[in-house]
Formats: sequence, structure tokens, C-alpha cells
Amino acid sequence: MATIELKQVAKKFGNNWAVKPMDLTIADGEFVCLLGPSGCGKTTTLRMISGLEAVTEGAILLDRRDVTWRHPSDRDIAFVFQFYALYPHMSVRENIAFPLQAEGEKKENIDKRVAEVVDLLRIGHLLKARPSKLSGGDQQRVALARALVRRPAAFLMDEPLGALDAELRETMRAEIKQLHLAQHATTVYVTHDQVEAMAMSDRIVVMSAAEVQQIGSPAQVYYDPANLFVARFIGSPGMNLLKGRIDGERVQVSGAGNTVPIPASYRSALATTGGDVVAGFRPEAAAISGNGGSMGGEIYAVDMHGSYKLLHVSVGEGEGASIVHIRSDRMAPYTIGSPVRFDIDPDMVRFFDPKSERALGRGIASPAARNDSKREVGQ
Amino acid sequence: MFVRAGVRTPTHNNCDNRAACGVMTEVRTDPTIAERVAASTPEPLARRVRGLSDRAIAWAFIGPTVGLLLAINIFPLLWTVYLSFTNYRANRPNEEILWIGTRNYERVLTDPDIWAAMQATAHFVVWTIVLQTVLGFGLAWLIDRKFRGSAFWTTIILIPMMLSSAVVGNFWKFLYQPQIGLFNYVVSFFTGIDPSSFDMIGSVTLAPWAIVIVDTWMWTPYVMLICLAGLRSIPDYIYEAAEVDRASPWRQFWSITLPMALPFIMLAVLFRGIENFKMFDLVVQLTGGGPGSITELTSINLKREAFEKWRTGYSSALAVILFVAVFGLANIYVKALNRVKQR
Repeated sequence: MATIELKQVAKKFGNNWAVKPMDLTIADGEFVCLLGPSGCGKTTTLRMISGLEAVTEGAILLDRRDVTWRHPSDRDIAFVFQFYALYPHMSVRENIAFPLQAEGEKKENIDKRVAEVVDLLRIGHLLKARPSKLSGGDQQRVALARALVRRPAAFLMDEPLGALDAELRETMRAEIKQLHLAQHATTVYVTHDQVEAMAMSDRIVVMSAAEVQQIGSPAQVYYDPANLFVARFIGSPGMNLLKGRIDGERVQVSGAGNTVPIPASYRSALATTGGDVVAGFRPEAAAISGNGGSMGGEIYAVDMHGSYKLLHVSVGEGEGASIVHIRSDRMAPYTIGSPVRFDIDPDMVRFFDPKSERALGRGIASPAARNDSKREVGQ
Repeated sequence: MFVRAGVRTPTHNNCDNRAACGVMTEVRTDPTIAERVAASTPEPLARRVRGLSDRAIAWAFIGPTVGLLLAINIFPLLWTVYLSFTNYRANRPNEEILWIGTRNYERVLTDPDIWAAMQATAHFVVWTIVLQTVLGFGLAWLIDRKFRGSAFWTTIILIPMMLSSAVVGNFWKFLYQPQIGLFNYVVSFFTGIDPSSFDMIGSVTLAPWAIVIVDTWMWTPYVMLICLAGLRSIPDYIYEAAEVDRASPWRQFWSITLPMALPFIMLAVLFRGIENFKMFDLVVQLTGGGPGSITELTSINLKREAFEKWRTGYSSALAVILFVAVFGLANIYVKALNRVKQR
């Protein structure tokens, strides 16, 4: 097992940045997700760590050894591909044994190690089959077995569950997490699915447009996003973001009668702005109040999620009008078109600079977010 | 099944985890083939078509092809089989045709000339396949490196294949000339032996190799093309997986490149085998079967028996024997090919 260090690593394709210079240190045994929309450079980053892609700038250290210009085969890493990349002309057994055979391992050792991983992944009954005869989930299990069998220093996974259907994805997610806990192997995992990243990782690296947006625990990126992109991207739906003007102890948003509270701890941080801010809060930060309430609007749509309902509320009129998502009790009897008023938990409100799009007063909420990591992270 | 009608099609279930939704299924019944044909046919014809069953329509479509196939492929084959049991001679149409049983077959199989021709054919087929496969795969492997100008070189390499084989046979005759031939000159340039001391076409020992060389020169590009398709069909990520699995380039070649390209190589071998078994034009132009009958392949021999000696019954028997042999071998080979492909 090993640590992974990226020092100002960058990649350019022609004149375009695929990955702008980034730093990242991954501790031994840590599970780190690279998360972002497609084309954000997360896969390129992973491929640079693996050596399948050469870096344009910077250095990569694996277990404190500089491997920047080493071949993938010299790096002692295992790579799990999105489309499995199993050898189609070999049986499952031959596929799993391949990395050991390539190292010239003795036959009895190969048999022993193959038996171990096959046991671990419960694929013993598949050994004689060809990969093409297996389901997607089983193919990915075989690909994981092939990665595990050599006991590499680090696992690199490129959207390993991307090609599976939703139900199977949840099962495999748990299986991979379980494997990680059992093996305690340093893992870098690329995904565009924020639910997957939130559920699996110790830390998330949120990327967009070739740049790292934020590095933090799932709770940090959820409760304390570094900028508007992260706020929007994490969570489903993302954070409610409303343009507003500071008005004393509250922020005036979306027309008359709608305000968001400013917690006391933020007041000095917000004092330096010109008065324009973007206020953000999660759907679960809103609490419906019969009448009164600092915000209100008309229900535009209601999504039933089983354990709760998500209300789309149309707030304000004219230019400031926007849709706010709030969470409500699953039994709540709201119908489309009816008015609703709600309050917002001041501890859950975050503020952003509308020009730089960065979070204002970041760090004020961070300690709370860190303590919060035990708290259930909703989707 | 030839005809399928009334397919039930469930539509997409537009469900995401946000929206509550139920499963909606729409049932659509496809029209029968007769209805569909009728819909796109002028009205008078459509009226006649509409009453037909799907099976009748299907026969109406494939009928002409099947009829043509029977007339120009199957009937002549059966007729040849019949003639092979008679003493028929095509240049004496008025003579009585006698049923002589298996006498023609006995004569063919005990004829030393036939066995010599078979040997010449075997030598030609085996060596051309071996050389073309090795060279063709090698070239494909080099071209697949995608170096600068690889497209240009591919085109250059393909030129021999585009020529007519009669032309190729003719100009190689000049290249093989002991006095003025470029081939002899090149050999002498590299080895130092006198160019006029050997005659590729005139020598009994060299002539079988002369035809092998020309056929290899002409058809290696073809094998290369098929092998190139095979190599290009191996996705990059397979090599990337092998790379992180720490396989050496040598091992990657033997455990990935070669086995995955094998179905294509086998297909090329099949095509070249069939083609060269019936080789005629190139060799006739180049050596005319000589010197003596050293390069007289079975197809040349067959043509002589049938259309120079006019032993129609006898040559029919030879043709049937060749057909059975090639058909049997090809069948066994295709089974092996399918097994490789199914992996």
C-alpha cells in the first residue's frame, strides 16, 4: 500500500488544458473520488497517475518514489476500466491469472492467489466462462479480481460502475466499499455520479473545466461548498442559490417579502461585499411554517421520493423569480398551485460572491461541517 | 423464423429517481409483411398482393434468385456428376453415351500425371499460404504502428493486388529473363552469382518457386489488409489493461495481439487457400505449366483434359474429386474458424 502525491500535475492536449496544474496528496489506504461532469479532466488525471497518459508538467510520487516518467507496468498500480477491458479470448480464470503469469509467478502461487480473490468476490462458479458470456456486474467483478490478484500499491478505477444499471450499481458500490475496507488499499476512483462519490469516498476532489474546484470530505463538499459550481453540482437537486442584497441582518431575495437570515458568525465576512450576494441553502434547510415564514411562493411541482417529498416552489415574480427546492414530509398534503411559506435554518445558509462565484466567509462553517461528517448525508 | 408479425413493444419507462412514476406499456401491433408490401405498391398490384400470406410473399422475393442459382450452379454440378460416370466426349456429340460406372474415377486416381499435378498444387498452395501469411501479418503489424506516412505506404503496398493476374504473369516473365530480367540482376547484385547462370522459369527445380514468388508478391497485400483489419479490431484499452497488468511487449504480442487477430488470419488463409487451389491464369501466363509439366497445377491439368484432349467424362470425374476434396477441407476449416471466433 502506498501514498500518492501529485505536484503541480497538468496536461495539455494541443493548446487546450485537459487538466490545469493541480496538487493532491492521497494518504495510505485512503479512498479518494475524482468527481466532475464529463470532460472536466478527471479521467485524464487518473490516467496520468496510472502512467497511461504522460504528464505535460509536474511530478507524480507513488509511495514517495518519483514515477512521473515510469511506464504503467513499473508503477505497481492496478487499473479498473469503465468497460472492464477483460481479455475476450481468455477464460475468467486465465484473465485473473494473467497479471501473475506476466510476472512469472510460480504455478502453485498463482492457483493459491486466484483462489483467494475468487473467494473474496464470490465468482468461483464463473471461472471457466468467457467474459462475453457474463453479465455486466460479473464482468466488473472479474475485472476487480484481476486488479486485486497482484496486491498492487494502489487501485485506480475509471467509472467502474458507469456501464451498469442502477440497481446493480448500488450493490457493486457496497461491494467495492467492502473490498476497500477489507484490503485497506489506496484507491482513486473516478465518477461523474455525485451520489456514488458521497457514498464511497473518504475525500472528494470536485473538478470542473480542467480545474480542481474543491477537495474535501463528503460532508465538507456538501455543507460547505467552495464555490457556486460545487454548490450546484453536489446534491440532487443541488443547493438553492438565490441572488440577493444584504439588508441589515437578512438578505433580501427574489422580490418583496422573501428574506434569508444571516447568521451572526457571517456578518463581518459579508460586511466587505458591496451588498450583492448569492445566498444558498439545501432543500432540507427549509422548514415549512403554516403562516409567517421568511419566504413563500407557489408550488410548481411535487416529487414523491418515498421517504420524503420534494417541493418545487416558485418564489418571487418577474426578473427575480426562481424555483426553490424544499424538502417536506412524505405525508404533507401539498398540491400544485397552492401557496406555501417556509423558514430557513440560519446554520445551514451559505453565501457566495456573485462575481467571483467563490464562497464568502469559508471556514466559518467548516468546523461545523467537519463535526457533521457523522450525520447522514442526504442526496 | 422468416416472418415475424405482431411484435409487442414496451416503450421507454421515463423514470428518474426524482419523479414518482409508474410503468407505462404501449402495445403496438406491426402490420404483416403482405400489408406493408401492399401499402407501398401501386393500387392494381396491391390488390393482388394483399391476399397473399407472409410465406408466399417471402417466396416471391427469393424465388428468382433461387431459380437462377438452380439453373447456373446446382444443375451443372449435378450434370457433371452424371457425366463423370459416362464415356461422353464433348467434341463427339453424336456418339453414343455409355454408362461406364466408376471406371473414370479408377483411371483418375491411378494416373501418375494427376498425382504429379496434385503435388505441384500442394507445393504451390502450402508455400504461398505460409509466405503470404507471415509476410502479410508482418506488414500489417508494421503498418499498424501508425507512423508518419503509414497511409501512403499502405497504398503503395496494395498496388500489386490491383493488377490483372494475366498482366502480372506476363511482365514477371520478363523480370525472370536470365539475360535482361531485373529479378536475376537483383539476385546477382546481392549474391554475386552470374545472372545468366540460372533461369527461374526454365529450370525444373526453380520453376515451382518462381510461381510461388510471383503469387506471394501479388497477394501478400491482400492478406495484409485482412490482418490489418484484425489488428485494428483490438481496442486500445485491452493493451492498456495488459500494460498495467505488467505484461512485456513480447507477452502482449503472444497472448493478446496474435490470439485476438487469429480469426482474421484464419479467414485470410481460407480465402488464399481456395483461390490458390484453383489457380490458373497467372501460372498459365507465366510458365504455361512448364518446364515439362512441373508447374502444371490440377486446374491447368483439368483444363487440358477437358478442352484439349476432350475427355469430358474423365475430366468430370477429376472435377468431382477436386470438388469433394476442397469442399470437405473447407468445411473442416470453417468449423475450426467458428470455434476460434466464438471464444
